[in-house]
Formats: sequence, structure tokens, C-alpha cells
Amino acid sequence: MSNEKILIVDDDPDLRKALRLRLRANQYNTVHAVDGYSAIAAAYKEQPNLIILDLGLPAGDGFVVLDRLQRDDKLSNIPVIVLTARDPQGNEQRALRAGATAFFQKPADNAELMDVIRATLPKSPSESSLPS
Amino acid sequence: MSEAANHVLLIEDNPGDADLVRLRLVEAKPTFDVSCVNRLSDGLTSLQEKPPMLVLLDLNLPDSQGADTFRKVLEKAPGVPVVILSGQDDEALAVKALHQGAQDYLVKGSFTSAGLERVMRYAVERQALLRSLEMSRKQQLDFKNQFLSHVSHELRTPLTCIHQFVSILLDGLAGEVSMEQRDHLRTILKSAHQLGAMVRDLLEATRAESGKIRIEPRCASMMDLVQTAVAMLQAAAREKKVGLEIRGDAAIPFVHGDPDRILEVLINLIDNGIKFTPAGGSITLQVSLVPTDPEFVYVSVADTGCGIEPAAKSLIFERMYQHPNSVDSSRKGLGLGLFIAKQLIELHRGRIWVVSDLGHGSTFSFTLPLYSLPKLLLPVITQAGVLRDALVLVKVELKSGSIPPRGNWKEVGPHCHELLQRCVFLDKDLVLPAMTASGSTETFFVVASTDMARAPIMTTRIREQLEKLPELKANCDLSVSVRAVSLPHTAADRSLEERVAEVAKRVTEMTRIALGESKLATN
Repeated sequence: MSNEKILIVDDDPDLRKALRLRLRANQYNTVHAVDGYSAIAAAYKEQPNLIILDLGLPAGDGFVVLDRLQRDDKLSNIPVIVLTARDPQGNEQRALRAGATAFFQKPADNAELMDVIRATLPKSPSESSLPS
Repeated sequence: MSEAANHVLLIEDNPGDADLVRLRLVEAKPTFDVSCVNRLSDGLTSLQEKPPMLVLLDLNLPDSQGADTFRKVLEKAPGVPVVILSGQDDEALAVKALHQGAQDYLVKGSFTSAGLERVMRYAVERQALLRSLEMSRKQQLDFKNQFLSHVSHELRTPLTCIHQFVSILLDGLAGEVSMEQRDHLRTILKSAHQLGAMVRDLLEATRAESGKIRIEPRCASMMDLVQTAVAMLQAAAREKKVGLEIRGDAAIPFVHGDPDRILEVLINLIDNGIKFTPAGGSITLQVSLVPTDPEFVYVSVADTGCGIEPAAKSLIFERMYQHPNSVDSSRKGLGLGLFIAKQLIELHRGRIWVVSDLGHGSTFSFTLPLYSLPKLLLPVITQAGVLRDALVLVKVELKSGSIPPRGNWKEVGPHCHELLQRCVFLDKDLVLPAMTASGSTETFFVVASTDMARAPIMTTRIREQLEKLPELKANCDLSVSVRAVSLPHTAADRSLEERVAEVAKRVTEMTRIALGESKLATN
């Protein structure tokens, strides 16, 4: 059982709920934020292990959030997976350059998304000490 | 009204004709502000400094004659209406100018002031109409493209929601689901996938039309791509009870193309084949070389489906063509697939076409340029028509420690290629295009004009450069290996072309061995 905390940033309540159900079923804890401003606040307060970030957000879009995270020493090492309805052309390279670890266009393949989440999360000490 | 509204530029070298036109102008409307010049060069300067409402232009001037005169005026001021002043004997020339965009012409000495005024007024009005038509056409096109891109984006959010909640139910995350319910949920999910594919095609077609599709060609294994596409669609074919197989016995060379885009085309063609082939039929993919067209590889996808009406053959690559009686009971797509495939192949400078026997099946074929090493090598490994003495092949390998690779792996290849270009002398070393390699390795080769004794200088330089890769420092657990091997000498008694081809052959052999692609060797 892992106890990693994932911050979900999306302005659509239904999509937040779907992602929360999916992540909880995979034994992750979740917290959420609904706009760019509260995403930064939540990242400070919750210190999540990973952030899943939408790009089209009110009060500071995803790129603003990425920029703020990168510029803050306390937050810059939290991996960010971008999950957006926006077109990969133009946005994918930009997001990766701005510090995102991976880019998914909605609707994303769930199995693939979970694989990348697993690969991206820093291994917790208890997990890596177990024999594989 | 602005100053330009009354400003007429008269370009006429005959003083008598100029005076007469000026007189008629003043008679027609005393407020006309007429500038008169007698050389084209002065006229062009005046056009720039003080744009007129209209130009009255004599085609034969001291510094320019005939159609050329009009062309130069049009170039300088494309939006200004031009009325040609023609002599009795060169009316044909004036008519020609009309076809090129002049608004009207007048024969010198045979027009009244009222006639002149009317010709000028109509010319100005026609020009304004033309411009507003052009603008609204462009606005409409822009609007359409913006609209489609907006719509396809907005459709994605509800689509994602359907997709997510149905898969939550299907995966049993919200409690037990009965067999029947599961069936219904699968149908919903399948429809959501179809809808998603349509939304993607919509955006892609919009892009194709506005020329915004980008391709990133590299050295790609055509056979690998065909195998990948077949593996991806094997389940769908089996479900429909349609055979899906690859035929091809020759060693299939590499192509110079964007692997993602080529895969897109293959998937599209196979998918269509499955759709239009009844149960019991089959789809065969073939990759081959055609001796008469040695610079291209030929790929065909043949089905035993319903075939295409001869009349429809020229239409199927158009946007939104849909087969009138698809044998598939499921619904049609948007009819954009083949249109997009055609754009993608043409971007690669290939061709795509179809041969069909109504009732017996269709064969879609396309060509892609072969990756030609000798052509790339020739200017680099020869100097003044002589092959360089010593050549070395350097292999650079970037390996990710985790599978799938962490971090922005997609960036690693292009970045690495860019850095390698900076480590070499572009006139005597060649960084080969990236090879498609396994999912967690990127391999590059450099053919360098140096000998083994001096090769370490280069490998050290490459290593130092690559250690600056941002991905290496960040979250990619990458390892870099750089190794050089000497390229054997070729027989000196042969022609330069033969020797370059020989070097290319050896490089190819060595890179294949290095990539572990023994399956590509001739069998």
C-alpha cells in the first residue's frame, strides 16, 4: 500500500471526481485544486508527491502554474504530469520545456497514465528497500 | 475624405498626351489633384511617397516598355486601381494588361472628360469590391479553421468525462457489474473512442488544409512500422474474422520519414480495409522495392472487400468522401482519413493511389523516399573528387535506466542530434539521421573523417557535450556511451561512386549490427 499524495488540478468537477476515483483505486491519496492560484497554494500546503495539471485553468493557466512551481525551491522538484484537452502540437513541447515530466491529451489512456504516474513518482524508502 | 481620394497619378512620357489627359481630368472634376511623371522610376517613387486613388498608365515609357511596365506598378502598389492609356495601335497590349489585373483602358485621344470620369470611378469601385471580397474570403477561412479547432477542443472535455466514468464502471471501481451491463458499457466506450478519433481527425484535417502539419523525418525501419501497425489492429481484424498478414521477402531498407506519421497512414489504411472487408476476407500488407523507381519504397495494403466504383476513385482522397454503402453496420467516420493520409504522404514527397476491382477488393499503395546513405555521404567523405584516407564510425548511445523512460524522453533524440552537430566539422563529418530504436534507447552514428589515433579527441568532445544535456541532469536516468570503430579501406582501383557506395554499405552493415537488427539482414 503506498501513501503517495497526488494533487489534481482541474477546473471541471466531474473530471476531478473521475480522476480521484481512479487514483484512489490505485491506492493513492488525492487532494485537489480548481484554479491556478489555489494550485500553488495547495502545492505549498500539501507538499504532494506528484501534480496532475490541466492547462486551461481560471486564475492563471497551467503554464503560469508550471512557471511558479519551477521558480520555487520548495516546489520545483515535485514532478508534474500535464493532462489537458489542448492540442499537443504547440503545447506538448512548451509544457515539457516549462518543466513538466509528461504530457497527456484528454481523454488519456488510463493504463498508460497509471504507468507513467508509477514511473514518475519518486520511490519511497520503504518501497525501494523491498526485494523486487 | 483623405488627400488620396482626389490624387491621380499620371505616368505618361508624351507631353502632348499628358496635357490632353490633364485637361480632360480638370474638366471632369476640378478638384482632381494630378501628379504627372514621364518615367516609370519616378512613377514608382511617387506611388510609394504619395499613394494615389488611381493610376493612369502609359505602357511605353523611356525606362520600361509593354506588359513589364504594368507588372512593376502592380508589384509596387497592388491595391491601387490602374487604368491603361493605350495608343490606337497597341490596344492588344492594354487588353493583355486587363488580364493581369488592370481595371480598364482608354484609347488616347478618343475619350471625353465624362467618359474618363466614369471609367475612373468604376475602376476605383471595382478595385474596392475586389479587395473586400478577398478580405471576407480570408476572414471566412480563418474563422472556419478557428472554429474547428475550438470545437474539437471543447468537445474533448465532455468526451473525457464519458470515457472516464464508463471505464470506472467497467473496471468495477464503483461496484459489481453484470455481464449484460458490461456489454452495454463496452458499446458506450467504443462509441466514445470513435468520437475521439473524429475529433482528432477534424483538427488534423484543418491543419492539413492550412498547411500546419509538421513532419520530423528520420531514418525509420519500414518493416518495423508495418509490424507495429499490424500488431495494433490484429485484435480488431480477428473480431471481424478478417485475416491480416504481412508479405515481403526482400531485405527492406530504411525510409526517410516521420515514424509517427507513417504509422498513422498505415493504421488508417488497415482500419479502412477491415471496415470494408466482409468476414472471411483478408488484408495483406506488402513492402517492396521497384527497380524502375529506385529511390522509393512501395507499400501496399490490399483487401478483399467490396471495392470502389471507378467514378469514386478520384474522390476518395478528397475531404469528407464517404463510402455510400459501407458493409460495416457500424457508423461511418467523418471521411477525413484518406484526405489526411494523402497530405501526410505528400509531405514526405511520396505518392498515394488506389487500384480497385469492384466487388473483389481494393489495393491502396503509397511510396516513401528511401533513406540513401551514399547520397548523404558523398559530399562529406570526398574532397576534390577523391575519397578521404581515413574514416571512423562513432556510435553514440543514450540509454534510459527505467522503462518506460522517465522525464521528457521525446526531447532527448532531437536535443542529442543538435548537440552532435556542434561536435563535428560539417564539411568532413556526418551525423546520420536518428535511427528508430527501442523505446528506452536512442542511438546515433557519426561518420567522421579522422583516423583511430585521433578518434578519442572526437569521442571525448562528444561525451563532454552530451553531459550538458538538460535531460541528463534532470529526471532522466540516462547513461551515455560513445565508441569509435575504424571503417575499412575500399579498393582504390574503382570509381569514386563505387567506393562511396562501398563505404555506405559498410556503414549500413555496421550500424545494423550495432543496433542488433539482424532481422533486417537479407534472408
